[in-house]
Amino acid sequence: MTETIEEFASVDKPPSYYEKLNRDINELNNRLHAFNLLSKIDRGVPFSVKDNICVNGVESTAGSPILKGYIPPFDATVVEKIKQASFSFIGKTSMDEFGFGTFGINCDTPAKNPFDEERVAGGSSSGAAVATAILKHHIAIAESTGGSISAPAAFCGVVGFTPTYGAVSRYGLIDYANSLDKIGVMARNSSDLRYAFDIIRGTDDYDSTCTNRAIENFSTNKLTVIKELVENVDSEILEPFNSLLDTLKGQGYSVEYKSLEILKQSIPAYYIISMAEASTNLAKYTGFKYGHKNMEFTENYNLFFTNSRTAFGTEAKRRVILGTFVRSASVKNRYYFKALNIRNTIIAALKETLKDSLIISPTMPVFTPKFSEVKELTPVQNYSMDAITIPPNLSGLPHMSFPYTYLNGMPVGAQIVTDHFNDYALISFLEAWEKSFKPKFKYNIGAI
Amino acid sequence: MEEKEFDRLLKTCRIKLTKEEYDKIKNDIESIISYFNSIDNTQCQENPAYHPINIKENLGEDVPKKFDNVEGILKNTRTYRFYIVGPKI
Amino acid sequence: MKIGLEIHVALPTKTKLFCRCLNQDNEVPNLNICPICMGFPGSKPMLNREALRISLSITRALKCKTNDRVSFVRKIYFYPDLPKSYQITQLYEPSGFDGEVNITGKTIRIRRIQLEEDPAKILREKNYSLLDFNRSGVPLVEIVTEPDIYSEDEAHEFLYELRSLLYYQGIDIDREMKADLNISLADERVEVKNITGIKNLMDAARYEIKRQSLLIEGGRQVLKETRSYDESRKITETSREKESDEEYGFIYEPDLTEYYSIDVNIPVPIIARHIAHELSVSYGFNLKTLSELIYFDKDSLRLVEYAKNKYDSQSIINLLEILKRFDCTSIKDKVFDALMDLLKRKIDITKETIIKLEKGMQIESVYSSPERIDEIIRAFLQKNTDMVEKYKKDRKVYDFMVGSITKNFGLQSKLVSERLSIVLKDIIDNN
Repeated sequence: MTETIEEFASVDKPPSYYEKLNRDINELNNRLHAFNLLSKIDRGVPFSVKDNICVNGVESTAGSPILKGYIPPFDATVVEKIKQASFSFIGKTSMDEFGFGTFGINCDTPAKNPFDEERVAGGSSSGAAVATAILKHHIAIAESTGGSISAPAAFCGVVGFTPTYGAVSRYGLIDYANSLDKIGVMARNSSDLRYAFDIIRGTDDYDSTCTNRAIENFSTNKLTVIKELVENVDSEILEPFNSLLDTLKGQGYSVEYKSLEILKQSIPAYYIISMAEASTNLAKYTGFKYGHKNMEFTENYNLFFTNSRTAFGTEAKRRVILGTFVRSASVKNRYYFKALNIRNTIIAALKETLKDSLIISPTMPVFTPKFSEVKELTPVQNYSMDAITIPPNLSGLPHMSFPYTYLNGMPVGAQIVTDHFNDYALISFLEAWEKSFKPKFKYNIGAI
Repeated sequence: MEEKEFDRLLKTCRIKLTKEEYDKIKNDIESIISYFNSIDNTQCQENPAYHPINIKENLGEDVPKKFDNVEGILKNTRTYRFYIVGPKI
Repeated sequence: MKIGLEIHVALPTKTKLFCRCLNQDNEVPNLNICPICMGFPGSKPMLNREALRISLSITRALKCKTNDRVSFVRKIYFYPDLPKSYQITQLYEPSGFDGEVNITGKTIRIRRIQLEEDPAKILREKNYSLLDFNRSGVPLVEIVTEPDIYSEDEAHEFLYELRSLLYYQGIDIDREMKADLNISLADERVEVKNITGIKNLMDAARYEIKRQSLLIEGGRQVLKETRSYDESRKITETSREKESDEEYGFIYEPDLTEYYSIDVNIPVPIIARHIAHELSVSYGFNLKTLSELIYFDKDSLRLVEYAKNKYDSQSIINLLEILKRFDCTSIKDKVFDALMDLLKRKIDITKETIIKLEKGMQIESVYSSPERIDEIIRAFLQKNTDMVEKYKKDRKVYDFMVGSITKNFGLQSKLVSERLSIVLKDIIDNN
């Protein structure tokens, strides 16, 4: 049995292999809704793309009804790169509308958790995580703004890797919040992850914020647990996490505890910046150049635009209104500029800690919730679910969620964070971890 | 938030809400804003940098390069004599 | 009375501000477009190096200060011609600020110079609008003055100076200039938006001065408002409600970074006003004559600079006047070379040398050739498009045109008169 993509790629597959693969995915997808759109493949290694990343000629909606029918006339840079590396495009993965969500429920047909279909897959890259959890050999191109890779990866028991801000080109990404959006990878193991990251990273003439900084691999065996990241974690999650720390100590890591008071401000700072930027990004959806079409051209443009924009979902509307508020001239210093200042203070504090250690924590503060449970949450309660994933995301720091145990049959994930541009240290960490832990999957479509 | 101010916000961002949405979302927004207000007394450095990392400037050269899929752009839109049709002004 | 101006000029780059599409108008709509200048979801801007350089160069010519770093913002408003529903422009760290332009006896302060993208071209139809994105993303520089202009004459002179400054930056603002006019006679400020061309700008100013004066004389109040100028009726009128600063909700453009303006290499700008002044003091040129000859003529300026130490001012002026006769003609370069050659050989400029030179250039035959005269006339009319329109309404303009062309190009009025009617008929019939 082949484990890694490299092994898989070296094996000849008959047409019947791909026929079965297409059939199996299609069948399971009807139940789990990992994909918004499936494309039949007949060769190569399958890769999926989160629905907010453009694939030439393939409908890309970012999970929003307002983009229904948008056919990008170009490939995102990451898609172009991975196609050239002889991967085959298998489909667009489902997500919360524009990435606005933690559980993958802010869309028409939410993806279900393959381990328990009454439970959420996590969001916003819900489909990417489910696809990774059901396909044996596959790379998911996902995207995180505030935790959209870590959260679903943890709930679905896969590896979710979010690189340093700017390490991967965002050209072709349908923006949520441009100073926070990061394209990353979900995979089942460190080998596949490294393979994919090597392909997609690097500068791009089409993305001004994509850097040519060398990606480093500074390794350390010091782990830091930050009080503010674990203090609100449910005890049923905290217990296995403490055992994980013991295991790691046994493997030669040292663990230190530390308090960073300023991290308490990360959630409001994150939501202020992300909503301010999102409300400008969503201004372009006015119902006539692409996507959802309003045909009432005789209406005055203001009415036309306003009517077109009723196609946004509730969370999108909420964020557009709030984002418009926090950047209004009269309150901009209080919210937008203050949040930028807080972000920079948080970055400085985290970087100080990351000089000689990795930061480790549970990925999510709760056990994988049921759909019925998350429906009850107020927006503020909902946003607090991102408490652990937000600090590294707000700071553009590379981080990774990896599975480390199973509770009542459900996978549980932990998150490690390293300094800017030290991305490979995370992959090295995972390589070491895999020596003592083998993840389990309910489905292995395409296994040979 | 006063209804007048909320309505002004809606107008600014061209969002129209149904009656049910209106009360629910207005209520949500008020509680989120009061949550945001928790940053008021935070001590922090004065550095409004707007990216999380320092990025060396990238500039494009002034050399024309034709986009090869104009047709693909126009397929998304409604056109009339090569013009794109938009709402009345 | 106080007038402040916001003047938008298009920059002569080869490509657009944030993408590599041609910066070129096209008769076919939506030809020079790509996902970036269309604001398609997923696209991102990449700043054109040359556009940044020109904006900083204008900044220098207008004696502005510049921050070490230049940044961009998003200005959010909704209109069908604005592809992303926000314009990428500058606010916090613009290309320039706190500059000045000198006119006779005073200084017009420049508040800000910002680099920004042009929206698409929009045509109003009865039941919809039509959009052409060829223009979308064309680099513009907006020059914002303080309200330091106190009269029509000052406005005129300011625009004349600005035109010359920009001419030496390679920008012809006669071609396509858009302006907003802020004008207050009493306490409240009226803003007139989207005026095209210098002539319309002056007409709009004149109309507003009259309108506001009448209101004040009648004991009525001038309202603080935004108006627009209707070219055909030559009036201003209350215009659509526009977003204010509160609603624009500017934020930093996070798809772009900061740009280090100090790294950009900019030559010392040419300010014709200063040069003319210096030359008249040091070499005895008549200031007015020299200014007229060099304000919009790089070749003439080169010639003066070369000859100033070797020839007396009158000889130089004589040479410049010869050169001027060939303005807008295809052989101007040849004439320039011949004149420079003459100067390099240190030949005395006498009546005889000039005649000899003219003979050498076969100028006489040029003058009498109908094709050459037609060429000159067409060039003149292209520069003065309003003349044709005026002529359509009032045939008396004919003699004025003949006079202007004769004087400007040193031609015989009889020949010009003969050919002009033929050229005009041809232009009018073919339009």
